[in-house]
Amino acid sequence: MSTSVAPTENTVKKVKKTKPMRQESRIGMFFVNSWLIFFAIISIVPMLWLVLAASKTDPELSSRNPLAFGSLKGYWNAWQNLQFFDNGVIGRWVLNSVLFNAAIVVIATITASLAGFVISAAKIRFKRTFLISTLIMMLIPPVALVIPLFVMMDKVKLVDNPWSVILISSLYPFGAFLSYIYYSTTIPPELYESARLDGCSDWQLYSRIALPLSGALLGLLAFFAFIGNWANYFMPYVMLYSGQNYTLPLGLGFLFYSTPAINPGVGATSVPIYKPEIALAGILIALPIMIMFLVSQKRLIRGMLAGSIKE
Amino acid sequence: MLAPYLFLLIAFGLVPLIMAIREVPDVSLTNPDGGWDAFKIVVSDFRFPEALKHVLGFMAIYVPLTLVLVIVMALMLDVKTTRWSKYLRMAYIVPASISGAVAVLVWWAILEPTISPIKSILNRFGIESATQIWQTKNLVYIIAIMAFFTIAGNWILIQYGSLQSISSEIIEAARVDGCSAFQLAVRIKLPLIRKYVIYMAVLLFAGGLQIFVEPQLLTTSVYTGIANAWSFDQLSYELAFKNGDFGGASALSIILLIPSMIGALVVIFKTDMFDDKTIRNTKTTEKADI
Repeated sequence: MSTSVAPTENTVKKVKKTKPMRQESRIGMFFVNSWLIFFAIISIVPMLWLVLAASKTDPELSSRNPLAFGSLKGYWNAWQNLQFFDNGVIGRWVLNSVLFNAAIVVIATITASLAGFVISAAKIRFKRTFLISTLIMMLIPPVALVIPLFVMMDKVKLVDNPWSVILISSLYPFGAFLSYIYYSTTIPPELYESARLDGCSDWQLYSRIALPLSGALLGLLAFFAFIGNWANYFMPYVMLYSGQNYTLPLGLGFLFYSTPAINPGVGATSVPIYKPEIALAGILIALPIMIMFLVSQKRLIRGMLAGSIKE
Repeated sequence: MLAPYLFLLIAFGLVPLIMAIREVPDVSLTNPDGGWDAFKIVVSDFRFPEALKHVLGFMAIYVPLTLVLVIVMALMLDVKTTRWSKYLRMAYIVPASISGAVAVLVWWAILEPTISPIKSILNRFGIESATQIWQTKNLVYIIAIMAFFTIAGNWILIQYGSLQSISSEIIEAARVDGCSAFQLAVRIKLPLIRKYVIYMAVLLFAGGLQIFVEPQLLTTSVYTGIANAWSFDQLSYELAFKNGDFGGASALSIILLIPSMIGALVVIFKTDMFDDKTIRNTKTTEKADI
């Protein structure tokens, strides 16, 4: 902003006293607020529809208001009906999703935290090379390597084995980078120096100094590992082909494919899987992530901006 | 201590890349003589120009739409903090939980006039049946909107966070100089968060290029055949799993990896986002109150 006349000290003071800041025009603020609220509404409606859809019966979905609530019993009925699909394989999918993700979160969090610590504290060669390759892996989309990963997993005979998905998803460059920043900024290097002089090994440095200070970091790492993998589709889709190994997202895709609920190409079947049942399966995937997002909003911003905010 | 992570990085980052490169010259039905012609063959595949057209069309909508709307939303949120701001931000993050298979389900419902929550709007536009919407030529728009809603909430929060990093003295000084909220947003705040905008643009571009799940699920499981080999990743998948041409599929994967790689290198070396100095000055534990 350039002004033609430089204000004298007096005028500045005067301006400050009488009018500390320029007032916003009412109309402008009205538009801003209306748009913010409008966008909030269109953000919520799809989720609301999904959550309410499973409470209704299939005919009610088209006869009643799309955002009307059916009954609590509707959810139970939908769950019961899902059991008819392939002898209750849905239970297996839920279990797979929980187990695979638990394994991924644990392995990813531990390996990333250790790696970040080593890059920040220990004296190792090729530090910069590690850091740059981690950043590159972090910035290229994970799906870019799916086909090459399949080619590799096929050679080592791990295709259709859940470990292929668990191990691949446990590579967590973003986590390693996050913990590198965390340890670089929370623990002063002098602390390591003096501990080393006292004869501490790297492992002791980690377990006695870094780990007790890592609470917030481990929460952050687990959070991002979970939200990044829970709804993952492409990689498990390529790696796992038998229904018993499916995760919930794969299962949902399979339900689309094999029931007439939303696929007009499938004729009538004896299995009672219709839109409310499909919606319930969708809720099982979307709701855990939504809850994680809502309770961890601060974490999300903090983590994604890590390495970028200057105080 | 670095070993477990290093193992994963090499095994699932470096090794597949090397194996993919070695896979390319393998002899196959499409590449009977073998050799590096595989690159040429995959580019001249009859499905390649179609996929190129679709993905470019999709990105021409998705990338600018997301960039502009996200920045506008973040700047608007930052105009004035009230006790409602927190709830607005919570609302914006909700669609981020609807991705992949669930996004296909939800958008199928939204665009199905018989059950849609926006039934009346669809009817007003003369849409009485889903077949009016679900046509291959409309997919670039539909998939762009799906992808936008999946990603926008995350980025709104991130860019809002980046705005919180601007020192309050700068903002106050500008206000005292008589800046309106609009001028403040466009002339002061936007230039100061430039590097985050570049960062976002690079990631949106790289992600958009690899669009797969939405068209793949639509074409295999909802409207059969609506999006066969619609995107590059779908073509790559089809080459590998339908035609058994892993050389061609690998060649295409490598071609697609190049722009992503360039983008990554630009962010790393041309912005100071991941500069060591920046990192040392960062505190991840205590941030401006968000």
